[in-house]
Amino acid sequence: MFRKHILDPLRDCLVSSAAQNAFCIGETFYSYSDFGKKISSIRSVLKDQQTGNRIGIVANDDLETYASIFAVWFEGLAYVPLHPMQPLERNLDIAGQAGITLLLNSDGKAEYVHQVTTSDLPEAASDFDFTEVSDDSLAYILFTSGSTGKPKGVAITRGNVGAFMAAFWKAGFAIDASDRCLQCFDLTFDVSVQSFLVPLTRGACVYTIPHDQIKYSYVFGLLDDHQLTFGAMAPSMVRFLRPYFDEIDVPSMRYVIMTAEASPLDLISEWAKCVPNAEIFDFYGPTEATIYCTYYKMPRIASAKELNGMLSIGKPMDGITAVMLGEDGEILPEGEKGEMCIAGPQLTPGYWNNPEKNAEAFLNLELNGETRRFYKTGDVCYFDADGDIMYYGRLDYQVKIQGYRIELGEIEFHCREFLGGHNAVVIPVENAMRNTELVLFVESAADVNETLSSYLKSKLPSYMVPAKVVLQDVFPINTNGKVDRNKLKAMLN
Amino acid sequence: MNRSEITEKLNTIFPTVFNKPGLSITESLTASDVDGWDSLTHMILISEVEKSFGITFKLKELNKMKNVGDMIEIIASKL
Repeated sequence: MFRKHILDPLRDCLVSSAAQNAFCIGETFYSYSDFGKKISSIRSVLKDQQTGNRIGIVANDDLETYASIFAVWFEGLAYVPLHPMQPLERNLDIAGQAGITLLLNSDGKAEYVHQVTTSDLPEAASDFDFTEVSDDSLAYILFTSGSTGKPKGVAITRGNVGAFMAAFWKAGFAIDASDRCLQCFDLTFDVSVQSFLVPLTRGACVYTIPHDQIKYSYVFGLLDDHQLTFGAMAPSMVRFLRPYFDEIDVPSMRYVIMTAEASPLDLISEWAKCVPNAEIFDFYGPTEATIYCTYYKMPRIASAKELNGMLSIGKPMDGITAVMLGEDGEILPEGEKGEMCIAGPQLTPGYWNNPEKNAEAFLNLELNGETRRFYKTGDVCYFDADGDIMYYGRLDYQVKIQGYRIELGEIEFHCREFLGGHNAVVIPVENAMRNTELVLFVESAADVNETLSSYLKSKLPSYMVPAKVVLQDVFPINTNGKVDRNKLKAMLN
Repeated sequence: MNRSEITEKLNTIFPTVFNKPGLSITESLTASDVDGWDSLTHMILISEVEKSFGITFKLKELNKMKNVGDMIEIIASKL
């Protein structure tokens, strides 16, 4: 699967589309030939080193970083991305958990041991033959927020990624070498994998966002200056553009994918006028089921399906099975709301070195006389009469901020660590922009604002650091004896 | 209003938006120089600047704004 849908098509592009543009990074174009040269020289370093099968890659925005991913894959290895703007301590924890013994970094800063700097490597002979490994081998491990205060690794195999690509094409996308495709996601987030694989396996060009740019403004620049034709984006990013919708007209856009969080119908309907010729899709998927697993094509003329103002997430992709599970573990009929569970070839073999979490998140269910392994998404949904999935909300304290999946428990854990016993509760609220923002309540009278914020910045990525801190002498308690999160939230108004 | 008057006025807006009392701007200052200058604070900054100078920016202008110097230039052209 991986070879057929990823390695073979990319190799064909490296050889036969050598002069075509593969990337536009910070307004500089790089051809498939430039890309192939970088891949080959990084491979020669990997061959010289004693490595485990998991290689750390510092996720910078440059050609070397993307070439590192494919060098790792051509060598039969897997990558673990580390974001340069996240705290070093968090990255070291991830590197430790993943057992990384070699790290590729295009930035000369030597913050890690066993680091190879990829920006000034000598040229090597073209090397596009790949080391054959099975589809059961790992492709990448992505670390997401974990409620115990430690990030947790989702291990994705080559077979998972291959199955994803096969199913993605079947959803009806025709991309060729003339396409110009947006890649506006961090490499630590799996929608990035779709965003670079779709163009690179079709000879098209990938347009990226430099880390030091204001994303929404830069994305508009790319859409407008380069007349992009394909792109996945998060609704929260599109919302930043909303005050300027009357200035935006991108007739070149053929396909727009809304993903990473629930899509508000009103926002996307207005956005649709800015991309008048695009087919608009709402894609849903947890990292555990490899990028996306259901999708809904938004009708341009008829009214779109929605629940509480959020677009339907449509039907399962090819090969994916979705069921709604009731509170007693029974599979619910159409129309009944329950926890969505997903099965199929895109399903992760499990969390990395985390048997407790694996026991919690996966279960076997019998369906049509066959026992299959399902992932419990934590998302509450139901099937409508046409078999489209309507998205209701989360079961737990997980929220999405700017498309990033966050366990509130992880933030609360670090706050309590710092406060040495004082209670801390994080509440997601909608700000004036209608984007989700985090407010931290601290059960203390002492002003800890400044020191706590800087402590959290050293432990957590910036999108997890609460925007506001509220000090509260005593927390309200509900009838179950738990902190009443609803009352705390009400205090904000 | 000349450039230094614009700068003076901006020097009252920036520290508030980024919650950094000591922050003093220079023409070469960019988003990557200021901790916390991201999409959200950028949006707040733009709206505060618009209110304070009584102007509105076009998205195209925001996109060409690479540093504070560019911002001053665009503000000056609108006054």
